[in-house]
Amino acid sequence: MKDENKEGIGGMANPGRYGIERIAYWLMRLTGLGLLGYFIAHIYETSSILQGKMGWDEFLELTQTTEGHLFLTLVIGMCVFHTVNGIRIMLGHGGVGVGKPGRPDYPYTPASQNARHKIGIYTAIVLAAIAMMYGMAVMFGE
Amino acid sequence: MKESHIMKIHYGTALAAVGLVAVHILMRLTQGFAQSLEYESVIANYRFLPYAGLLEIILILLSIHGFNGLRVILLELKQGRRYEKAVSYGCVAGMIGLIGYGTRTIVMTNMGMI
Repeated sequence: MKDENKEGIGGMANPGRYGIERIAYWLMRLTGLGLLGYFIAHIYETSSILQGKMGWDEFLELTQTTEGHLFLTLVIGMCVFHTVNGIRIMLGHGGVGVGKPGRPDYPYTPASQNARHKIGIYTAIVLAAIAMMYGMAVMFGE
Repeated sequence: MKESHIMKIHYGTALAAVGLVAVHILMRLTQGFAQSLEYESVIANYRFLPYAGLLEIILILLSIHGFNGLRVILLELKQGRRYEKAVSYGCVAGMIGLIGYGTRTIVMTNMGMI
C-alpha cells in the first residue's frame, strides 16, 4: 500500500516525463558508458601493433569497413555531445546560467531549468550531428 | 577523499583531455585519415617521444575520468556500505589495469621492442 506511488528506478529513469533535461541526463550517462567502452576497445585495438605489421593490418581491416566507419561516426557523435553537455554541466555546477534564487511561488518553476541551459542541451545535440556528418565526409570521402 | 575533491578531479581531467584529444585527432587529419593509420605512420608517431608522452597523458586522464564516471553512475543506481566500497575499489582496479595495459603498448613501441 505504502509503495503504490513509488516507481523506483523506473520512475527516475523515465525520459518522457521531465523534458529535455531528463533526456540530457540519460544521454550523458549513455554516451559516457559508450565512450568508456570505446576507450577500452581502442586501447586493446592499438595494442595489436605489438604483433608487428601483420597483426596491425589484420586488426585495421576490421575497422576500415562501412560498419567500422558507421561505428566511429557514432563515437564522434557521443564524444561531441558528452563534451559540450559536460561543459554545460560544469558551468551549471559553478553557478553559471542557473538564474537567481527567488521565493518559491506556485507553479514552482525551478530557476535553474531555464532557457539558457535548454539551449545548451540543444546546442550539444546539433554540434554532435554536425561533427558526425563531418566525420562521415572524412571517412567515406577517401 | 571528499566527493567534492573527486568531482574537481573529474572536471579537471575532462577539460585537460578535451584539449589533448583534439591534438590526437588533428594528427589523424594532417596526413589523411587512412594514411595516418598505416603501420609505418603509427610506429613513427609512437617513436616520437613528445607524441608518445601525449598519448600517455591522454591515457591517464581518460582512464581516471572514465572509471570515475562509471563509479558515479553505479553509485546513483544503488547505495550501501559494502556495495559502494566494492564499486570504488573495482573502478580503481579497472583504471590501474587499463593504464598499465596502455602504458605497456606505448613504452614497448616507443623503445622499439617489437
